[in-house]
Amino acid sequence: MSRRPVNPSLKRKRPETDSPGLVDAERAILNSIKGKKDLGIWARDIKQETKLTDHVVNKSLKSLLAKKLIKEVVNIQNKGKKHYMAVEFEPSKEISGGEWYVDGNLDKELINVLKQLCFRYLRTQKVATLEGVYNELKKNRVVTFDISNQQVSEILNSMVLDNDLIEVKSTGLGDYHSIPIGTVCYRIASAAGVAKGPRMGAFASIPCGACPRISLCTPNGVISPGTCVYYTKWLSIDF
Amino acid sequence: MVSPHGVQLATHLISSFYGDLCSKVCECLLRRGTLTLAQIIRFTELSRENVINCLRVLIHQNCVQAFAIQQEGAFGEAPRIITQYMALFDNMIHKMRAPKFMQIVSEELGKDCLGIFQGLIQHGRLSINQIIDRNEQTAGSADVHVVRESFNRLLIARFIERCPAPEPFLAPPADGETPAKKRGAKSAKIGEERQTTEQRALAAAAPMDSMRFLMEMDDPSEEKSEECTNSVTVGEKRKQDVLKSDEDALDADKKKEVLWRVNFEELVRRLRHKACVSYVKMRINDEAAIVLSAMLELSRHSETRQKAENSAYLSINAIYDEVIKKEGGLGMDFERIRASLEQLGCQCLETGVDENYSIDIKGIIESAQTEEVESVVLRRYGREAYRIFRLLSKAGRFLESDKISDTTFVEKKDTIKILYKLWKDDYLHMEKVMTSGAKQSLFLLWRVNKEPLREHVLDEMYHAALNLRLRIAHEQDKGKEILQLPREKLVGELEKRYKLLGKVRVILESSLMNLDEAIMLFHDF
Ligand code: SF4
Repeated sequence: MSRRPVNPSLKRKRPETDSPGLVDAERAILNSIKGKKDLGIWARDIKQETKLTDHVVNKSLKSLLAKKLIKEVVNIQNKGKKHYMAVEFEPSKEISGGEWYVDGNLDKELINVLKQLCFRYLRTQKVATLEGVYNELKKNRVVTFDISNQQVSEILNSMVLDNDLIEVKSTGLGDYHSIPIGTVCYRIASAAGVAKGPRMGAFASIPCGACPRISLCTPNGVISPGTCVYYTKWLSIDF
Repeated sequence: MVSPHGVQLATHLISSFYGDLCSKVCECLLRRGTLTLAQIIRFTELSRENVINCLRVLIHQNCVQAFAIQQEGAFGEAPRIITQYMALFDNMIHKMRAPKFMQIVSEELGKDCLGIFQGLIQHGRLSINQIIDRNEQTAGSADVHVVRESFNRLLIARFIERCPAPEPFLAPPADGETPAKKRGAKSAKIGEERQTTEQRALAAAAPMDSMRFLMEMDDPSEEKSEECTNSVTVGEKRKQDVLKSDEDALDADKKKEVLWRVNFEELVRRLRHKACVSYVKMRINDEAAIVLSAMLELSRHSETRQKAENSAYLSINAIYDEVIKKEGGLGMDFERIRASLEQLGCQCLETGVDENYSIDIKGIIESAQTEEVESVVLRRYGREAYRIFRLLSKAGRFLESDKISDTTFVEKKDTIKILYKLWKDDYLHMEKVMTSGAKQSLFLLWRVNKEPLREHVLDEMYHAALNLRLRIAHEQDKGKEILQLPREKLVGELEKRYKLLGKVRVILESSLMNLDEAIMLFHDF
């Protein structure tokens, strides 16, 4: 094992949070990892930075992991590459994918539950502001973690994109009497108009509108309206 | 330029109405743009006689317009006057909509007017005497008075109009003007206001506004009506003075009587208004729809352009008076009307005591278009794609893949897959950006380009309409034997199959009519 300090600056700095019982190589690696803060670092990059051999790096990482000084994190950008981070940091958004990711996977279940909660609340309230929804979720402690205003706003936004909700500005009248004029509020889309959610357009409701092969379909070609199976199926379902 | 499937649909329609030769001529004109007789003969490889006959039919059916221009003579020769023919794509597609148009007339003006209107739909152009004759044959009655009366009502409602001049003369184009067929897609965008030769020809051919819906009171004697036709445009008259066209054969079509035809412009306007009202009814509520329809009714006659973007400013009193005439509008008071106007996002203009409102028609049309496209995305690519597409469409600018994934709650990998699929099918526009520096990375930026997308979807809809028509023909063909059987033989299994065929046809045809509404939404409204 090389006892020669690789990076003189590292040695000189001697961070106060020095952990006892580490060999130099471990210390160098730990410093390199800590230096990346909440971004974490890829094993290969540690090698580059510390100029230590594969073997030393791997052994030191194992030992640091065992001492619970560092942890492995999943990097959303590249799930195959092992990344390390000091235990005192939480993975940044770039690494984890954000609050909605658990171990590099989108937490769809949580998102769906939150959507349902928002929807239910809006159904009773008819109309509410972001603050209103946020306070409701916090007050009722429906979620175990500390949900942020930003998160609620993201949920509501995605529901607008789903056309489950619509964004409106308060008029200060009727349902809006308690909301200052001009404030952005949310309401359930189907309650606003007669139509419920996304409407099926005329084009979308015939086979060609949904057809993945429309660009290949020609009057006398291999795929043609005369022989089209989508039509045959559609026409036989309808009666 | 007409989109590729638009051309296919138009030629299919013309072929089923007027035969393959006519459709060949149409296709040639639609694909190549305005041409002379000699060019049409050369490109279609049809005989001169055939082409002339086809042109005559097509002109009579309002699918082709002729016009004369002056062409520079080569090598110091005197300039020549040549006749050119342009295809009227919209009118070809209108053939498919005849039932819709007839329904409007029948609902608004009743059976007698419908009879006359139907004749014009069928024959393209008719003189008043021909209309009277035809009525005699079809209805068996010969009350000229009734016919004239109905004819007048059609004119007042602007459902019919005087035919345009057969061959207006266009003065040599001013500087910087290029014929439409030579303009690239790019220059077409810039030159919105600059008229193409085709637009000038249409404008020159159109009868003056004062004549367009004017019916002579006394019997139109030959000389008189000819005078009228000639006075329609100066160009036309000059043309007749100046030249003896080399296509005199076609002049046979120039009847000496005033000819009348269906005024598609007004009918399309009615359908446009109807579509707006039913969209608002669905998206807002019945009351807003009533208010909107009152406003559209009031501003109809002041709409000068085909696609008016805003209604005129209307006073609240006028709106109220019109609203209470409507079904369901009787109970509405000023407060509720104001609330509906607000919901409709109407512009309010207060001048002194008067309170005036204008409605953004274009805005309604655009929302309806957006919804139509979105619903195709939902159906064809799924819910996550729908969310992504709506995000981009609302943003109206470039967004980066990761940002899209975060906002829409779609896994990053899936997001990229969906984005690529939409991009491959021309629903999205993509740009790659390389960041230079220590760490090179590639970013993908995405956006919805509204105008090209609209055209792309429209082309797909023309394609779908053609497919529906072909499928209808296919189903009819399949059931030919059964359809030809005499009624009394249709029992048991045969009867069942006969009924099934009928059902299939109804479904396909009503789908076609609905699809056509969407096509109009994108092209005509
Ligand atoms: S006819 Fe059939 S294959 Fe062709 S576009 Fe329509 S659905 Fe697709």
